[in-house]
Amino acid sequence: MRRQARRWKGSVVSSAPSFLERHEFLLRRLHSLAGLVPVGAYMMVHLAVNASVFGSPRIFQRLVFHIHSLGPVLPLVEWTFIFLPIIFHGAFGLFITTGVKPNIEAYPYNSNLRYTLQRATGVIAFLFIFWHVFHMHGWFHNHFWVTYVAHPLMGAEFSPYNAGSSAALAMQASFLVPVLYTIGILAVVFHFSNGLFTLGITWGIWISPTAQERAKLLANVVFVIFAVAGMASIVGLYSMSQEKIAEVRAEEDEAYKVLVETGDIVPNPEKHSPLSEYAPGKHSDAEESDVEEGE
Amino acid sequence: MIAHANKPKTFFVKILRQDAPGKPSYWEKFELDYEPELNVISVLQKIAAKATTAGGQKTTPVCWDCGCLEEVCGACTMVINNKVRQSCSALVDKLLEDGREIELKPMSKFPVVRDLYVDRSRMFNALKKVKAWIPVDGYYDLGPGPKQSRGDQEMAYPLSECMTCGCCVEACPQYSKIELTPNVGETPEEFEDRKVDTFNRNFVGAAAISQVALFNLNPTGKMNAGERLDALTEEGGIQVCGNAQNCVAVCPKKIPLTMSIGRIGRAVTFNTLRKWFDRPAKKH
Repeated sequence: MRRQARRWKGSVVSSAPSFLERHEFLLRRLHSLAGLVPVGAYMMVHLAVNASVFGSPRIFQRLVFHIHSLGPVLPLVEWTFIFLPIIFHGAFGLFITTGVKPNIEAYPYNSNLRYTLQRATGVIAFLFIFWHVFHMHGWFHNHFWVTYVAHPLMGAEFSPYNAGSSAALAMQASFLVPVLYTIGILAVVFHFSNGLFTLGITWGIWISPTAQERAKLLANVVFVIFAVAGMASIVGLYSMSQEKIAEVRAEEDEAYKVLVETGDIVPNPEKHSPLSEYAPGKHSDAEESDVEEGE
Repeated sequence: MIAHANKPKTFFVKILRQDAPGKPSYWEKFELDYEPELNVISVLQKIAAKATTAGGQKTTPVCWDCGCLEEVCGACTMVINNKVRQSCSALVDKLLEDGREIELKPMSKFPVVRDLYVDRSRMFNALKKVKAWIPVDGYYDLGPGPKQSRGDQEMAYPLSECMTCGCCVEACPQYSKIELTPNVGETPEEFEDRKVDTFNRNFVGAAAISQVALFNLNPTGKMNAGERLDALTEEGGIQVCGNAQNCVAVCPKKIPLTMSIGRIGRAVTFNTLRKWFDRPAKKH
């Protein structure tokens, strides 16, 4: 009976209801929730931590060491609470965005503009995060991948044990990098703050028009706060001079030495900048330099 | 009233026409003598009587739908100067404030029957899907129902003004047109079933969601609240809403549709969680 042509989201398909169709409510609600927790929550922490580099690369490095004190468990945490939820939120978001027809010309209202921007910034955010994770993180920590794929393509530039100095070099690689980061961060922050506003309607937190107006104001404040935080980190990294970078790197290596001795940080050659005195291949008193395969 | 001075002697009406379902659409332009206090319906009556285009060619009378002529039935809804509204309450004097031409198009989200007349059966099907009624029919007198508080009455009244006209879904970017044609060898019953099935799998739209808010607010209607909420979590339910909020902006009855969407959005979440944890339906 179900084997018949029918239209679904603008396209004619001929099959039994798919998994996506049967669980549309659950998936949409999970998509909405994932935007706040863990993806949005992670984004807030991420931007706040990065903004610290504007004031003090030392505090930034300290915060990064805190994150990396998880050691070998970190990739598991990353994939469970960051990468997989972002992939779900992004992929499902793209899926539900295809087939909608924005009508901002005919109905030029504020909410409709927000609706249209929400979808546009979602697509920008998807592309930006895809590239950004490659650029800084490299996607995978596999030695072969990092050496022969990521590095040649300007990826995996961020070295957690030389956080400020490596991020500054990555940001200064080309004038295009800060431009792309500015566009990307503003899109992500708008998507998050406006998403917060619509999430409150979807879940019935702000219901009356008055409540929604107040929530919209709140969303705008959230946008400004995190846009400023994001810009601060870009400016902080882009404006760091070469001498300052070298100085910061020396400080980072110093802090690393102490933290390895106290056992707060697990040695991992891959997490050093190639310019660090602990970089693989360089002489170091931390560990044998050929443990680099061990990660 | 609007000054009738500065009005042109004649004005033009551009109409997007279509001879039958599935046929191509085409524009036709008509020229009419200006008269004060016309509405779009009276313009259409004049065009039907004239049946001659601005170029002087004989044409068929333009077809449209209407009922009450006082903006309570929703039948005459169309897109006038790019904005969806009822043609009975669209006053020519106001429309001519911006120019000498009025543009009329059928609603774009419904299949065109002919010219400006569309088939809104998907709207009515949505009301059936969400059980937008109160089941009180029976073989014996059920006695008086529970009382409704003054506050709830005041909340319900604006919601009850909905006339299922289709403005909300016409302006909704999440609501896309469905136009089906019978397949070869398909009986009318099979075609009807397929149509209902397709309608039910696509977005119900703001009007039906708001009707759930209305009937779930009614003390007797509340007894079936769970069934209505269940219908709204099926495929094409409330989750498809993208919060563009055009619905509330274009609603001719100023129904607080986004408020209904927020309230029902919350109710469906709790209703679903209650079912998931196998808890009995909420006691009202």
